[in-house]
Amino acid sequence: MMMKGQRQSRTGTGYSIDTITVAGMRVKEYVSPDGVVFAVVWTGTGMPDLQLLLGEYFEEYRKGVHAARSQRPKIRKPFQMKSERLVVERSGHSRSLWGRAFLPAALPPGVTAEDIR
Amino acid sequence: MRLMAVVSLVVCLLAGCSNGDDDSSGPSSAGNVVPISVGESAVCRTINQLCAVITICQPGTSSCQTISEVLVDNGSVGLRVFSSVLSTPLTQTVDVRGRAVGECTFFADGGTTWGPVQVADVVLGGAPAVRVPIQVIQSTFGGQSSSNNPCNDEVDTDPQAASFNGILGIGIFRQDCGLICATNSNNTLYFSCNGGSCTGVAVPLADQVQNPVWLLPSGNNGLVITLPNVPAMGAPSVSGSLILGIGTTDNNTPSAGISVLTTDDNGFVTTVYKGRTFGQSIIDSGSNGLFFPDASLQQCATPLDPFYCPPNAVNLSGTVIGENGSQIVVPFQVANTENLVQTGNAVFNNLGGDFSIFDWGLPFFLGRTVFIGIEGQSSSLGTGPYFAF
Repeated sequence: MMMKGQRQSRTGTGYSIDTITVAGMRVKEYVSPDGVVFAVVWTGTGMPDLQLLLGEYFEEYRKGVHAARSQRPKIRKPFQMKSERLVVERSGHSRSLWGRAFLPAALPPGVTAEDIR
Repeated sequence: MRLMAVVSLVVCLLAGCSNGDDDSSGPSSAGNVVPISVGESAVCRTINQLCAVITICQPGTSSCQTISEVLVDNGSVGLRVFSSVLSTPLTQTVDVRGRAVGECTFFADGGTTWGPVQVADVVLGGAPAVRVPIQVIQSTFGGQSSSNNPCNDEVDTDPQAASFNGILGIGIFRQDCGLICATNSNNTLYFSCNGGSCTGVAVPLADQVQNPVWLLPSGNNGLVITLPNVPAMGAPSVSGSLILGIGTTDNNTPSAGISVLTTDDNGFVTTVYKGRTFGQSIIDSGSNGLFFPDASLQQCATPLDPFYCPPNAVNLSGTVIGENGSQIVVPFQVANTENLVQTGNAVFNNLGGDFSIFDWGLPFFLGRTVFIGIEGQSSSLGTGPYFAF
């Protein structure tokens, strides 16, 4: 994680959440007990560096965005890509963009998609 | 034909358009209406896509052009127009070092626009022109490209692929970014470009892309979107009004029984649906459907997934709750998307799909009059940001 900013950690739920706040953006990283980042959630006026946040999954995300943009009939909806490997969603509006990415197969036992907020 | 319609509207305004009823005390209301429609244009052709015609002028001159097929989007803030449809020279904004400023704009649907921030005189309906920074959508600005740019995302290149000539962002905020971008150069939205490289830059509030409505000399406290409803199997098109101002003229005065839902600082409301509470809910004319999670609703087969395809239309309802505690129950219907699309119609009040956060898109606006109060601006309904309906 190269972003500069305030960093907070929270533990005790079977996983820990690292929160980084920088320039109007809050990024939460969900880390499993064995140190795997299995989810990220971002909110803020801008977009975090998803290449940095998604790492090896970034190219898959880019392909997902391209596929969503090319879909016909073109019906505007919040961005969503879902595979067994990777889920990415984007929502929100000007001033408050929201997004999350997680690895379904890497969710710790008992953790569901609803917990990633 | 479109040009002729605009010309006749102007003539009508100059002539008064008053039906001989000139003794009303309020100001003339005809000038504050921007006609809006779904399904009536060639480029702006997506299902449930709300569009308008606007006028852009070179600042301080009468050199103007109309731009049709502009997406009406209360989910974003500011006007954005493709450079390829612009024939009017605008004024480039620069940073303190004199470098041209550009912007990345990110949309919830995964779309991203890149291009220079330029000052235009913008005319909405018959209202006076407002001088306002807009985004010119141009993927090659600053020596960049659709795949290689500071947005770090694929950006829009042309109106045909994007299905609009521009976006009229008339959301609840004054500027598209606000204080964060005025004080931080690493805001990820604004960049200044020099010799093919673009770096993050802080931009004063007045130079940010902003909502033209709040800059109007009057009727600047918000706006009203009013659209008729459509039958269960949809309609080929629908026409309504975007009315500037709230409670400033006869035609934008709220009727009794309107409830005001203030939003949180981020412009979000809360929705309770089937006992589940969804914070960060949005009311967004730029979304083409109602999006929310419901595992009991059957999803359509590819390529219409994740839209819902229940065998029969289902009646549902959600409760929208404001920051002020006010709540409004919103009944709605979700029909089989495959059947809807097969009709060839363009407007549906019952198009729904799966998403993890509640998004009240265009179907919400059909058959409704929705008041959108801009942040820090006061009206008879209170001080924005708020939604009222």
